[in-house]
Amino acid sequence: MVHLPKVNELGFFEIRLESIGGLGANLAGKMLAEAGVEGAGLNGVSFSSYGSEKKGSPVKAHIRFCDLNTPIRDTSPVERPHVVSIFHEALAKTVNVVSGIYADSTVLINSQKSPEQLKDVMNMLGGTIAVIDATGIALAEKNRVNMAMIGAMFRLCPFLDPDTMKDVIRKSLGTKYPQSVTSAINTFERGFNEVTIQEFPLMDGLSMPEFIRADTPVLGYETQSIGGVITNPGNSFLKDLSISRSGMMPHFVLDDCIHCAQCDTVCPDFCFVWEEQPDKKGRPQMFLKGIDFQYCKGCLKCIEACPTDALSKVLEVEGAADAQTIKHVFDLV
Amino acid sequence: MAVNYETEVVLSEVEQLTVYESGNEMAAYAAHQINYHVMGYFPISPSTEVAQYLDLMKASGQHDIKLIPSDGEHSSAGICYGASTAGGRVFNATSANGYMFMLEQMPVQSGTRFPMVLNLVCRSISGPLNIHGDHSDLYFALNTGWPILMCRDPQSVYDMNLIALKLAEHPKVRLPVMVASDGYFTSHQKRRVQAFAHSADVLKFVGEKPPEGFPNTLDRDNPITVGPYMNEPDYINNKFQQSQAMYNAGDVFEVISNEYKQLTGRHYEMLDMYCMEDAEVAVFLMNSASEIIKDVVDQLRSQGIKAGSIAPNMIRPFPQQQIAEALQHVKAITVGDRADSYGAHGGNMVNEIKAALFTYGNTSTQVISRIYGLGGKEFYAEDGHHLFELAIEAVEKGKVEVPFDYYGHTVGDADKAPKRILKPMKFEDLKTGLITIKKDEVTGKLSVRIPPLRSLTKKPKRLSPGHGACPGCGIFSGLETFFKGIEGDIIALYHTGCAMVVTTGFPYSSHKATYIHNLFQNGAATLSGVVEMFWERKRRGELDHLGLQDDFTFVMVTGDGGMDIGMGPAIGAALRNHKMIIIEYDNEGYMNTGAQQSYSTPIGNRTSTSNIGKEQQGKTTHHKDTAQIMAATNIPYVFTGSEAFAQDLVKKAAKAQYYAQNEGLVYGKILIACPLNWLSNDHEGTQIVNEAVDSCFFPLYEVEHGCTTITYNPEDKNKKVELREWLKWMGKTRHLLKPENEAAYENFQGEVDRRWHVLKAKHENPYL
Repeated sequence: MVHLPKVNELGFFEIRLESIGGLGANLAGKMLAEAGVEGAGLNGVSFSSYGSEKKGSPVKAHIRFCDLNTPIRDTSPVERPHVVSIFHEALAKTVNVVSGIYADSTVLINSQKSPEQLKDVMNMLGGTIAVIDATGIALAEKNRVNMAMIGAMFRLCPFLDPDTMKDVIRKSLGTKYPQSVTSAINTFERGFNEVTIQEFPLMDGLSMPEFIRADTPVLGYETQSIGGVITNPGNSFLKDLSISRSGMMPHFVLDDCIHCAQCDTVCPDFCFVWEEQPDKKGRPQMFLKGIDFQYCKGCLKCIEACPTDALSKVLEVEGAADAQTIKHVFDLV
Repeated sequence: MAVNYETEVVLSEVEQLTVYESGNEMAAYAAHQINYHVMGYFPISPSTEVAQYLDLMKASGQHDIKLIPSDGEHSSAGICYGASTAGGRVFNATSANGYMFMLEQMPVQSGTRFPMVLNLVCRSISGPLNIHGDHSDLYFALNTGWPILMCRDPQSVYDMNLIALKLAEHPKVRLPVMVASDGYFTSHQKRRVQAFAHSADVLKFVGEKPPEGFPNTLDRDNPITVGPYMNEPDYINNKFQQSQAMYNAGDVFEVISNEYKQLTGRHYEMLDMYCMEDAEVAVFLMNSASEIIKDVVDQLRSQGIKAGSIAPNMIRPFPQQQIAEALQHVKAITVGDRADSYGAHGGNMVNEIKAALFTYGNTSTQVISRIYGLGGKEFYAEDGHHLFELAIEAVEKGKVEVPFDYYGHTVGDADKAPKRILKPMKFEDLKTGLITIKKDEVTGKLSVRIPPLRSLTKKPKRLSPGHGACPGCGIFSGLETFFKGIEGDIIALYHTGCAMVVTTGFPYSSHKATYIHNLFQNGAATLSGVVEMFWERKRRGELDHLGLQDDFTFVMVTGDGGMDIGMGPAIGAALRNHKMIIIEYDNEGYMNTGAQQSYSTPIGNRTSTSNIGKEQQGKTTHHKDTAQIMAATNIPYVFTGSEAFAQDLVKKAAKAQYYAQNEGLVYGKILIACPLNWLSNDHEGTQIVNEAVDSCFFPLYEVEHGCTTITYNPEDKNKKVELREWLKWMGKTRHLLKPENEAAYENFQGEVDRRWHVLKAKHENPYL
């Protein structure tokens, strides 16, 4: 049997995947676990976070590996991972993706940034950072982000055999989508080969932050209204949904806009910001000012609806949404 | 049960294989090996996967179970009951409110003594709605007369499913049996599991066929009367028989369990005990948490503390004597109940354990009761340590300081208490006067004038941004386009479904006006109550102080799923003609629970319960015509609409409001895109529903006082397309365009054409 590089007090090597729904982290976790259990002959358990989360919402997948004679009893989420795999860099804005890591844990991030930059972004005191441009690889190879991430995770889990994964890819895709086997294997291999890894030792005198249990609420029985009634109408506008965008965003050019409201009609997320102004004849009329990117999930329906060139689809570069955003004005108490 | 890989295979008599699967997968796996005759089911998380896995296996020809997608759990239980009276083997799986909805059927199934197996994938019951795992649904099963087997992990889900059927059919039992596992903790966590390698060995164990000699409804030579009316001299004797059968089930379980051990090496006694031989302190938990506690026992033992844990493998009949014996020398035990029995000073388990101790004369063991892990709140090892500390403290102090309490609840920080953020919407902003509606006194027809969509952007949206729907979801663009046509205040009720879930995750709400959610099926009834209370309180002058400038418009929002399970209440509300609107967003499936087929799913469509494989090609029946069903109730106004034809929809909304304020109930259906489950691109939703309209699959029309008007005829505009021009956009339908599915495609096209011709005839003739 293969040897696990390190285990916790119960005998587990633990992995946590951090993603948004739709990037294939659930499937990646499943494949990784099967590679360990069915391929490497380990014992293991794997599961994903479940709830009302939809595509574009933060999700987690949890994997525990152990040897065959270690009883698996723990069903709680992985709070102290040896490896964290972050499929979507922007998640760090709203989720503590590195929660509970040890000083010798490895954090894999899908990013184009350097490990030093990411150490700051992730607010890490210590640990090993592994970087893979999974999105770039997936675009180049016309395959999925999760395949490149799986490749990189195999690199970080030396007890898993990349050849068994390639067999799994061939078997699962081979009969139905033979044309995609090569691209999937290329994506996997590039993920495996192109990881850059850098260690950041924990400075003397510092200690790694304690984890906060995943089931800790903000409200309690003295502060929650009775019956679960929400007495704060419309407060969901406080949420930041910008992490739901997975690459593309709409770009708005005011000069080309005829203010027809087709975009506003089809937008599922109420992102378009309007203002009443006098028109050329001095009569009050509605004018589109722009997009509030806090709520834009990047579906791009508005671009299809736009009868002019005012809305177009662009690759999102860092800072672009913040620079272009026009904030909604809410009628606050 | 922890699997001992070194000894197990040696001990087993039957050939076994190792799989890596979840609890739900193993329930389905066992069912497919048994090859039940019938499963009537209805989707509810987290049990839905059981039917999905079975459908997937059916599509590839791995079993013959007749899978019947019902219109709600009351029906699924009815289907199962009927099927079980007819002599074959019957299977079902449900959770939480699904179980509550079928509850009425449960004592009938046991009281009339027809065996079947039901998997309860345990989940907390509403309200508030919570989809995660606890035992609040299970505790309602305690008094239904069903033997209940408990499963701590996916392995025991498999094993108990095989044992359950044999137990149910045993001549001394003849009762339906429940197999209970923990939602998500067990249902969705994959583990190594050992299973019989051959279905033939499974059938050898449970019996090739159900035992002979019991009455069934298909024996033409021996007609029977099932379910007679039974008066008081006889009823108590029926119940005594049932009570005897239930206690028999305990003894029979032990016999079957021993036989199972011979075959597989896995043994389930009534109680699963860990380190109890010399235990001084113990913890009693059920299912998944009872595994975690064993790690805690190991840790305490390593510190020299004589700790042990007890978990039942069966709770009906309750293993009273076994528990009393197990606790004979235990000084203190903490009993964790994963559901409360409000007001009973403890959950059901602790009170039954106390009764066991009392019955067997044990007055020395101290018992501490804690309610834990509600609504899927995680159980960590540290929680297990806390439960043991309570027992240790009781031993040290010689008494229990707090006999009953909750554990894991939090007081909350007063500084973080919610404070209202938004002001109410201004009435004058909502009552814009931009939309005018007039009734022609001579013809009685309504004429509606609406401004360009641009002007309507001035009207506040009824929902705040920040909801959690998927990118490209058509629900909210569809609903807000509809709401643009409504002037003034609304009160909304949403049925269970995506629109409800993604807008109301506590403590956030996207609803700027008052919103209500009740049960999946009961929205029309609930809103009827709100409407009538409004009129009655208004009549009594109790709302005068609000200075309402206009009556509320009451709007019920439902998905097509809600109109399946809630069809009866919707028709009831329509026949009572309450002043309210029912607006259905139809995305052709149960998308909130993972894309199962609904009755609105068109024929041939791929869903998670109408899979594509060599034995089946998607859904087998045509889409439900809900608009026509509602029109047949003769309500004043019925319409269909789409965001792709926004002006048309806004006008219909204005009419809907007029009728709902002046005459009675309105029903409207909007077709909306679900890119995630239609397997289509996020940005193409509007075009796809546009093609659905142009193909006449989803014609735009209204039925006003019984007269049908097609409001957009693609033939007149030369825009009519074949179905394929619509179906090609979606991954769930693309297979229908392949040559091998031509017959199915033609069947679908034929049905769409037929309905379109009928509609055109109605448009031409006011008496049709």
